[in-house]
Amino acid sequence: MFRNLIRQELLSHLMSARFFAAVVITLLLVVANAVVLLEDYERRLARYSQQENTHRQKAQEAKTYSTLKLSVERPPNPLSLFSAGLDKRLGSTFEIYHGSVPLISDGSARSLDNAFLNLFSKIDLVLIFQVVLSLMALLFAYDAIAGDWENGTLRLVISHPVRRGTILLAKYIGAMVCLLLPVLMSLLMVLILLSTVGSIQLDGEDFLRIGGIVLTTTIYLSAFYLIGLLISTATRRTATSLMLCMFLWVALVLVYPNWSRFAITPVGDTRAVRSSSDQQIAQIWEEVDREEAQFLANSPLEGKPQRFNLDVIQSSGFSGGRRYGIDMKLSNQSDPLVPHVQKYHATMGALYIRSAEQIALVRKQTLDRTSLRRAIWHERLMKLSPASLYTFATAAWAGTDLEGMSDFVQAVQSYRRTLIDYFHDKDAFGSRQWFASDKGAVDWWDLPQFRFARADVSENATRALPELFLLLLINLFLFTATFLIFTKLEV
Amino acid sequence: MIWHIIKRELFDHINSLRFILTVVILFILMVTNAVVHLRTHPERVRDYSENVTGSLNTLKSRADLYTLAQKGPGNLYKSPSSLAFIADGGDAYLPKNISNEGSWSKSGPGWKAQSNWWLSYGSANPDAKDLRPQATKIDWVFIITYLLSFIPLLFTFDALSGERQQGTLRLCLANPISRPVLLIGKFLGTLITVLIPFVFAVLLNLTVISADTWTQLSTADWGRLGLILLIASSYAGIFVGLGLMISAGTREPRVSLVILLLIWVATVVFMPSTLGTLSTKWMPPLQTIDQFHASREAALKQIDTDYNDRLNAVKEKKTPNLLSLSDLQKLFETDPETARAEAEKLMAAWEVEGDEELVLKAELITRDVETRERFNREYLEAQIAQVQRARIVTRFSPAAIVQYALESMAGTGFNRHLQYLEHVHDYTRQFRQFIVETDSADTQSRHLIGIPEGMSEEPIASEAIPKFEDKIAFSDTLNTATLDLLLLVSLLGVFFLGAFLIFIRAEV
Repeated sequence: MFRNLIRQELLSHLMSARFFAAVVITLLLVVANAVVLLEDYERRLARYSQQENTHRQKAQEAKTYSTLKLSVERPPNPLSLFSAGLDKRLGSTFEIYHGSVPLISDGSARSLDNAFLNLFSKIDLVLIFQVVLSLMALLFAYDAIAGDWENGTLRLVISHPVRRGTILLAKYIGAMVCLLLPVLMSLLMVLILLSTVGSIQLDGEDFLRIGGIVLTTTIYLSAFYLIGLLISTATRRTATSLMLCMFLWVALVLVYPNWSRFAITPVGDTRAVRSSSDQQIAQIWEEVDREEAQFLANSPLEGKPQRFNLDVIQSSGFSGGRRYGIDMKLSNQSDPLVPHVQKYHATMGALYIRSAEQIALVRKQTLDRTSLRRAIWHERLMKLSPASLYTFATAAWAGTDLEGMSDFVQAVQSYRRTLIDYFHDKDAFGSRQWFASDKGAVDWWDLPQFRFARADVSENATRALPELFLLLLINLFLFTATFLIFTKLEV
Repeated sequence: MIWHIIKRELFDHINSLRFILTVVILFILMVTNAVVHLRTHPERVRDYSENVTGSLNTLKSRADLYTLAQKGPGNLYKSPSSLAFIADGGDAYLPKNISNEGSWSKSGPGWKAQSNWWLSYGSANPDAKDLRPQATKIDWVFIITYLLSFIPLLFTFDALSGERQQGTLRLCLANPISRPVLLIGKFLGTLITVLIPFVFAVLLNLTVISADTWTQLSTADWGRLGLILLIASSYAGIFVGLGLMISAGTREPRVSLVILLLIWVATVVFMPSTLGTLSTKWMPPLQTIDQFHASREAALKQIDTDYNDRLNAVKEKKTPNLLSLSDLQKLFETDPETARAEAEKLMAAWEVEGDEELVLKAELITRDVETRERFNREYLEAQIAQVQRARIVTRFSPAAIVQYALESMAGTGFNRHLQYLEHVHDYTRQFRQFIVETDSADTQSRHLIGIPEGMSEEPIASEAIPKFEDKIAFSDTLNTATLDLLLLVSLLGVFFLGAFLIFIRAEV
């Protein structure tokens, strides 16, 4: 009987015009957007490798340790195709420098070929499922019980020796199969399109992540189907249930996520926090300046730092903020001063590293209390809608969420520490090659390379888990409520 | 008779659940929009005026002509629109200011040159440091494009197919009512039902907004609001027509609903952005930013080598019959009289050489700035052309048409940005002209713009310096808006005609 019910549900859905229309529209949208997204990804990848090359060349060009300009670039995430998250938007170039610890907001944005095109919002594949298929789920559900009740077929079915729970379950399974078909078909299309493009190589873990996205999609669609089923059971009128379903859909999918981000400003005014952190940072720098002055007082060096009273034949370099790089050619007259300069730079190097850690601590606290806190609160508020739960869960699977971005920043931070260790190993701060290349330029053959691997699947899964759990909870609640109402329903 | 049908439709709709839900959602959104505008607009205006005062102060601090010519007028800010609550226009993706503080300096043995300012437009997303999740702003555009299309569909999907199913349609047509009259009655009835809550929500929104002193609506603003209502009603009318058309063509309301909703999702939710990005795929490709940088650097390098060559030529060019310094020294010991004459000749030659060098330097600086600006401008224009073409393609979706029309009404968005760019270009021309004119008024000056030795050294009254003021002018955006409105009205005609033709032939 159960099988018969499922088969009947399946057939009635599969033969219906709405199923056909849903499949056609979903596939059309998926293919059209996948083409755009793939090209976009390829362009970003090309730009990434080009930037990488530039960074490497720049690093090799440095003749002294202080002129080393090292930057790293965040590679584009191939799964941003599915869920773009923050991957395309956040700045992706990070400068590595011993005197400052990079934080998530420090990435500088890559220059775009045409920044105005951002006016056309980019659509990822997950958004298509989120909008189109949730609407379809409600359209499958709104007359599931109410329609049968109005037709009188419900009475007919119940007159058979079949439990009411079984009827509900059969309807649920039938509809879910029909909803998942377009998802799987469009996934297939995307994978075929992907295979025509050589530049994207997905490994086994990526397929697991995609599996996670499909799982999340299933749970999300099931939540919407159950919302429709609950309304359908509770109202028993197709007209009423349809209107409630449609307006609820508009509210949950279209309006609420945008509304909560637009109307609510969590975390209030942060100017006080910012200014106090600025003060703290200024204090740290004052301390550094004081120690520098103290050092200089006890040393025979005079004049402006960096050049001092050295006899400079030629010099080049750069400076920006507190950072500077120098490359000098010194005459023999300044030889007696050179050890002092070396000692100065060794002291300053250590001082800068220490102050950078202190400042990073202050800045991280500020960030946690301002932008980051605001971003997290916005996410939390948005998560009141299952549609946003779905967005964030899929971003977590794809690794394009806030945490995926912080992973990269952590890798950058640890690379900075590796670089400092490398400098210490070479005794770079206290060497003549820190500021002068006249006795031989620095050889960068053993400069440590930056490597970044995305978090592994289990990590992605743990990050997606809270949202998944919430979605499941919603499902469970809706199913129980529907079941309770349905068992007490007078037919 | 037609009034009777309209009245019946109206009462039917107003008593329905969907009408109540429509009222609730429209009012919530419009009130939110107004409240948020009241909260954020003063901040925006304050930021703008602070920025403008800041850059005016820097301008005043640049008292002599050379500093003005070298450092330029400072940052030029875009003035925010007081009607931004109607259309946000992608504010976050458009730069709010244009900077002009480029500088380099070159030096060689015996000479040093410092560049003048040039305009640079920025090529990165201004939104790049925002950690918050992305979302659309709830402005009027959002409310109109999404809700004034979705709601008409919910009112019309069963207008004909539902009545046909119930048999009331047959009953209705058995009376002496012609089909066109019935259709027009249904069309107007539904349109009015949708517009009633919308107009009231708009009025509430405006009441809240005009309660505040920051936003004062002028008569012209009210005229524009009338036009916006017209745009909104023809947009809603398009979807009423579409709903009637599909409803007349299908037997079952369930089927017509699904078809309508899918058409809606495709045209309203996805098409504006998908078509925009998709269309750039088939456009002549823009130079990538790296190619652009490379070609500009190549041109600049050419200018630099030219300069170096000519400088060397000047230095090597020796006036005949001149003694070298050592010879002159010897001559002084033997014949001071002729030596003095020779020395004067030498000095004169040096001066000529120095003058020529100065001219060369001024030329280098002017050509450098011109080349940079020409390249930047060309690239900007290519970018703008690309966006313009993409916008034409996206006009396939009525939602995009409404968005663009409302943006030009509100003085935001891309067209407004173009207007601002034009103001910036006009102003820079004026600014440069001011420098040239002030300089030529001074007879002491050598009229070599761009180098400190070659320019007038007289102090400048800070009132005389032209100041940048970006004023939103609606007159030139009104044309495009009228065009959009015409497009909407003709679309409305097409859909209504479609509904009419299908309904005339439909079996009851």
